[in-house]
Amino acid sequence: MIQETKLVSRRFKIPKVYQLETALKYEAYDTIKESLSQSPKRITNLVVESGLRGKGGGGAPAGTKWQLMPDDDPRPSYLVVNCDESEPGTFKDRQIISRDPHLLLEGMILSSYAIGANHAYIYIRGEYQSFEAILQGAIDEAYEASYLGKDILGSGFDLDVTIHRGAGAYICGEKSALLESMEGKRGHPRLKPKTKEPEWYFDNPTLVNNVETIASVPYIVKNGADAYRQYGTECSPGTLLFAMSGHVNRPGVYEVAFGTSMLEYINHFGGGMRGDKKLKALIPGGSSCPVLTADEVSKATLDYETLQAMGSALGTGGMIVMDEDTDMVEALKNLLEFYHDESCGQCTPCREGTGWSDKLVGKILSGKGTDKDIDKLLSLADLMNGKTICVFAPAVSGVIRSFIEKFRDEFVAKEQK
Amino acid sequence: MSLVTIRVDDRELEASDGALLIEVLLQNDIEIPHFCYHEALGADGNCRMCMVGIEGQKRPQIACDTFVKEGMQVSTKSPTIRAVQQEILELELINHPIDCPTCDQAGECKLQDYYMEYGLYDSHINPADKVKHHKHIDLGSSVMLDQERCVLCARCTRFTTDITKTNELGIIGRGDEARVSTMPNKKLDNPYAMNVVDLCPVGALTSKDFRFKQRSWFLSTSSSICHGCATGCNIYIDHNCEKYKDATIYRFRPRINNEVNGHFICDTGRLSYKNLQTNRQREILSEGKVIAEEKAIKQYKKMIEEHSNICILVDANCYNEELEAIVQYAQTIDATLLSPLACYEDETFADEWLRSSQRVANAKGVENLGIKTDIPDGYTTDLLINFNHPKPELIASKKKIEFQSHKEREAYLVFPLAVFSESSGTVTNRDNLVQFCEKAICSNEPVPTVLEWIKKLG
Repeated sequence: MIQETKLVSRRFKIPKVYQLETALKYEAYDTIKESLSQSPKRITNLVVESGLRGKGGGGAPAGTKWQLMPDDDPRPSYLVVNCDESEPGTFKDRQIISRDPHLLLEGMILSSYAIGANHAYIYIRGEYQSFEAILQGAIDEAYEASYLGKDILGSGFDLDVTIHRGAGAYICGEKSALLESMEGKRGHPRLKPKTKEPEWYFDNPTLVNNVETIASVPYIVKNGADAYRQYGTECSPGTLLFAMSGHVNRPGVYEVAFGTSMLEYINHFGGGMRGDKKLKALIPGGSSCPVLTADEVSKATLDYETLQAMGSALGTGGMIVMDEDTDMVEALKNLLEFYHDESCGQCTPCREGTGWSDKLVGKILSGKGTDKDIDKLLSLADLMNGKTICVFAPAVSGVIRSFIEKFRDEFVAKEQK
Repeated sequence: MSLVTIRVDDRELEASDGALLIEVLLQNDIEIPHFCYHEALGADGNCRMCMVGIEGQKRPQIACDTFVKEGMQVSTKSPTIRAVQQEILELELINHPIDCPTCDQAGECKLQDYYMEYGLYDSHINPADKVKHHKHIDLGSSVMLDQERCVLCARCTRFTTDITKTNELGIIGRGDEARVSTMPNKKLDNPYAMNVVDLCPVGALTSKDFRFKQRSWFLSTSSSICHGCATGCNIYIDHNCEKYKDATIYRFRPRINNEVNGHFICDTGRLSYKNLQTNRQREILSEGKVIAEEKAIKQYKKMIEEHSNICILVDANCYNEELEAIVQYAQTIDATLLSPLACYEDETFADEWLRSSQRVANAKGVENLGIKTDIPDGYTTDLLINFNHPKPELIASKKKIEFQSHKEREAYLVFPLAVFSESSGTVTNRDNLVQFCEKAICSNEPVPTVLEWIKKLG
């Protein structure tokens, strides 16, 4: 029987647990005192051993990233929590910051201690104004109770937490663009370094992690790496706050272990398709992941390796479910309008490619398209793949390719007669 | 840094280990299309035009973000690379207005050059679908912006951010709505602003002073040195001689010299060409009336014979060769030679980069020849012969003969004089570097140079 595995969402249903007083009754911050008296390396080692994967979409092992932080750099280190959740179909991080912000703060204290940071930032999506208010309330309470600030609980460890609000650009969720934005510049992704190194905030070594990644740390520190690994698969240990939207009866966020059957997840938690329609297609992990057909969905399990093998990606785990009435050309147009608007405009293939592909799909949708336009879309998709600074354009490329390759009939049916 | 050997197409090259590939290619005259990379600004990685194939790498890589290492095999002309270059170029052009016939950059535009070399495809886009932007934005500082022609290479914004640090320009908007702009109510306003016109590889930024005056392919180019101050910035003089008209200078552009001015010049120097062709002295005058050269020379010689206390004043903009000739000439007629330098000083002009407070080209040349640069107390002369020095009134004299390039002063005898662009010679800059100026133009009725006058007056 499929069920939720509540590691991060454990306290979500408790009324007013965003208040410190309530949260403390349910074990919030109970890892702090002991952890701060032990070696910072212990936390990093636990995270490495747990196999925790970054939950912002890329799925890179979090521990490996932590280990890139230097031990003996005279410059200050920083932790930046990426809460610029802007991917269409993804709405999980907001659950954490609005329902259980103290869990995130606990994770931030542990993570900052592990990497030697005395200042941590939360980069929050500009539109998340009401969630930011809750989060700031929690931060203020934590300062008051000495979980933040100078000499946390008498341990000698100092940590300040600052919220930095974004101004509404999707690309600022890309970690280097996020740091540019935090530095007060235009949110443009940076050229990737040639060797493995941390991120840099004003030239200081910096760790950038997703909200859910950091919110997973307290469980691992409290229960050990093996406890975390008992959930999920070998390659994708633990759980994820999977989200579901679209043509289902009960859209929402449900935390399950990696490896869960996708179809069962939809049927069990989503209550099946809305109006008893048939499933046509599904975008697995936020809009940037290639679309899956109903047939593929029936074979898919919710983990990185399976979806990668299917030519798609798990992404952020935010599934968009589409029923048999969905017009796939219109669906693609909807997505491309988003990417057209959100491309930062830095690299030529993305700046011009997203706009042009949007126009081409618009042309097909209006019944003026030809085979040539479909082929041009495919060649544009090729051109956008692997020729830009960040992975925005390659993601768009994969989306276009998957829609056309899997639903070409629908595109052809709209061609000029 | 150690040297490594790399292979580019069928050539073997030596390069420093870890050098930037695009720099190695350009230094070896291997053509590589690029917009955003610039030697003075470095790489930005945004235009994606400089794609090359690297053996062992699945995908094409940008040469401006690739560092060479031993044995690296690079292809710049393979069919895959040619195809990628063509496709990226097509993207650069899909929202470009293709208004070359009315574009001032035509003839020296990278988009045009690359289209002829890498493009040559038929357009796939309906002109009505192109994104529209503003086409005539006066940025200030004599620079005009056409946002539609821009390829967003960010050279101009990086210049104002990293080089002048004045931050007037930025990119606003996203995706294909991204465009270069100044902030509201701000102007591009700094002494080096017009360099963005040279930096711009396309017709987006043009000089208000130069635009629509000449097609670039009609221009001839001569190498010279700016005479605006003692720095001696290297310049190109672009000029054209239209049928039946006098040769005319249309612009100065910076000429790369990393020891002096790098890639840039200041706007004052850039626009100083105008002074070379306005208010020019062209006739010989005796007591304000035009007379023939022969007669004037006779009068001149007579005056030399009649006076014994003669002073020659010389402008420190003269070429070294002219100064030497004047030194000799002064000895021949037993005259005192002076070139006061204090009057060229202008502290308000100076900065810590290219602009020197000494607003004259060859002060060092004057000093090196041992010409006196200050006026002895109470000095007076019977006859003052001035070779274009701007302040002859500093010396009390009974009679005056002027050799002047511009109609600025009156004298008993006035002889016209050529300006630096009308002859060749060397000037010595503030760091004692001797630099050569080519003769750029010649009028239909040429005005004699200092050397020619001295020969005639012998």
